[in-house]
Amino acid sequence: MTSYLVVGVGAIGRRVVEHLGEGEDVMGVGRHDQWPPAEVVVLATPSPQHELATRALASGAHVVSTSDDLDDVDALLLVRPPDEQRLVVAAAAAPGLSGLLARHGATFLTQLDEIHVQSVGTGGPTCAIQHHRALGGTSLGWHDGAWQERPAGTGRELCWFPEPVGAHDCYRAELADPVLLHRAFPEADRITARVAATRRDRLTARLPMLRDPHPEGLVGAVRVELRGAAGTAREVVVLGAAQPLAGLAALVAAETARQVAGGAMPPGVVTLADAEVPTNALLGALADRGLRLERFEGTGARTAW
Amino acid sequence: MKVFRRALLAVGSAGIIAAVLRIRGRGGVPPQKGGWTELRVDGEAPPA
Repeated sequence: MTSYLVVGVGAIGRRVVEHLGEGEDVMGVGRHDQWPPAEVVVLATPSPQHELATRALASGAHVVSTSDDLDDVDALLLVRPPDEQRLVVAAAAAPGLSGLLARHGATFLTQLDEIHVQSVGTGGPTCAIQHHRALGGTSLGWHDGAWQERPAGTGRELCWFPEPVGAHDCYRAELADPVLLHRAFPEADRITARVAATRRDRLTARLPMLRDPHPEGLVGAVRVELRGAAGTAREVVVLGAAQPLAGLAALVAAETARQVAGGAMPPGVVTLADAEVPTNALLGALADRGLRLERFEGTGARTAW
Repeated sequence: MKVFRRALLAVGSAGIIAAVLRIRGRGGVPPQKGGWTELRVDGEAPPA
């Protein structure tokens, strides 16, 4: 029996404990509580998590982080775990599931040129604050061999997500996905990430939050679009999943923790987009747990003119 | 009277054109497939 410690008892942490709880030794604690020894530590606290990750690694545990803050993810990528220990960075919805979908979607292409990630919704209150902050910052995107900085809240794109979420306007934001995806797919020429936002979100992004964030977002979806070549043809692969993001992030974190405990993850710093990650096993486990993974199939119908 | 005749001619012409497009036009059939479909991770093979 593997011992798991879940640090953070919010919307995501509580669910990670529930997911891992069946037949396992699982304990959930607050950030400032005493940490009992455990083989795998799942960090489900607000960002930053890199200091907590260092502390957990020093105790001899493997670590699964759920941070989606760009600066924190950068710091986590610089952490050097001791030999044979694993640090999984950003195992949540986006980033997290987005990396798994990108890796799986890339198998449909013989040459990958572009990766575009979009997401809708927020998890708990901390995630809503992070969403607000991301829309007020500077977005990072990989464009033809160089990083491009653009103001967040710009670059509107209408994106279709799996039902029941449907179409949403998505905008650039200060997101960690491009950094993680560029690390995993250095061959891709263009990598962007966007989040869905309303006019009010964009208008108030650079102000303090005008009202308390909701306890939990009830709508959520992640979508990954890959463009490239399949043989001699140009191909676009669109994969996605729709589920409220707190539950989705918790599911991804819990199943990642199981893979870490089972020794399936490579040692060192790992992201879910990495080629060495057992992508199909993880996606299969998520599907077994009720997550419906979907692919957008185009239509061959032609217009009459 | 002249304006009335011109208006009548315009409405009549528009009607005839609309009727021709409605009868002869090939609007096609809306897409009968496509959209989001469930992705089976193990069963779906990448293209050759």
